[in-house]
Amino acid sequence: MNQRHVDFLPGAALAVVVMLRPLLEATMARHMALEIPLLFLTGWLVSSRIGQRLTKQIAPWNAYGVPALVYASLAGLLWMMPVALDLAVLNPAIGLLKLFTIVLAGVVVGASWREAGLVIQSFFVFNAVSMLVAGGLLYGQAPDQLCSVYLVGQQAIAGDGLIAWALVILAFWFYAVSRDPMIRGDESSSPANIETQTAPP
Amino acid sequence: MSTVQRSAVALLVILALATVAIGYVTRGFGAITTDGARRIDLMKSPKSLPDLPLVNSTGRFIRLSALGAPGKLTLVTLFYAHCETICRVGTSGQSYLQNEIRSRGLAGQIRLLTISFDPRRDTAGTLAEYAHRNRADPELWTVATVARPADLQVMLAAFGVVVLPDEWGGYSHNAALFLVDSRGKLAYAYDVNRPDDALADLLEKRQN
Repeated sequence: MNQRHVDFLPGAALAVVVMLRPLLEATMARHMALEIPLLFLTGWLVSSRIGQRLTKQIAPWNAYGVPALVYASLAGLLWMMPVALDLAVLNPAIGLLKLFTIVLAGVVVGASWREAGLVIQSFFVFNAVSMLVAGGLLYGQAPDQLCSVYLVGQQAIAGDGLIAWALVILAFWFYAVSRDPMIRGDESSSPANIETQTAPP
Repeated sequence: MSTVQRSAVALLVILALATVAIGYVTRGFGAITTDGARRIDLMKSPKSLPDLPLVNSTGRFIRLSALGAPGKLTLVTLFYAHCETICRVGTSGQSYLQNEIRSRGLAGQIRLLTISFDPRRDTAGTLAEYAHRNRADPELWTVATVARPADLQVMLAAFGVVVLPDEWGGYSHNAALFLVDSRGKLAYAYDVNRPDDALADLLEKRQN
């Protein structure tokens, strides 16, 4: 595929998500388990297109990617709260702020992921998984209507969606870890080799 | 500055912004739902109600902004007459309150108002039937709706109520039992399932 065409991908993905917002925010499950993850992944895609340039630019302020990963965790926490979801749907300015903060989370996490290394990655992966499971169980069990803009019957589906994401993240994580040269003790692929393999052309 | 020092600064800025943002939406870490946030907002500063006309079950007009009177409190619920779910809880709560207010001799001090948010279907006739069915004492319990259907959104916004069409052709909404104080201001939102708590709170306030 032509490189120039591929560069349209993040912008096109973002445009599609933004255009489909009314549809994606029509139910709580789609909003939490589809729109927000799509925005985050779009951000990650953006950072992968920008490549090392962005990583180098933020590096002086982003030791081991920790500030970026803390930012993304807190943004995730904020937009998992029913009161914040209500505001995002009812108030267009806050809806835009949600869009921006989540895409930014994806961008900075994408640009910091490799810098973070296995230990710090693990910390944030398990933090995200436990947050999703806790939120998912809360939404699944709550007897009252939590969001003003979503029916009480949708909460259980949204909760299941969050737990499904937790499982997907865990599965991806175990797959990624199992391939990590540090874990496999693979002598042939030293960190230096990995750098040359993944560096942009 | 070293990278670690700069990163510590970045981290502090991120934590400060997150504390402000999360602190704001949760009203100082006190609420995770809009209903909880509304309760805290009203407790901090009672809210004026918009000046719009309501029409009651006898066809008389009431101004929403003029519910206050010296020494009189009003407990308000929102409903629609065709409701099969949570409005019934609100209705039985108002019935319970009417009985308690009467038996405690508080009829001059606490009044009840039930406002329909379905003005197209809930005409004066429907409301009168509803009032009759629930044995509403017209001196104590007023059943009304917005006189102009165009005012509906303003009325709902004043109470912070969002009405959603549900899967069974009705509506779902975040119900509450609202207190309008003697100045006519929206002063509190009680749990709609606990009119007994609301009454106990009012009696306690009266003593102080």
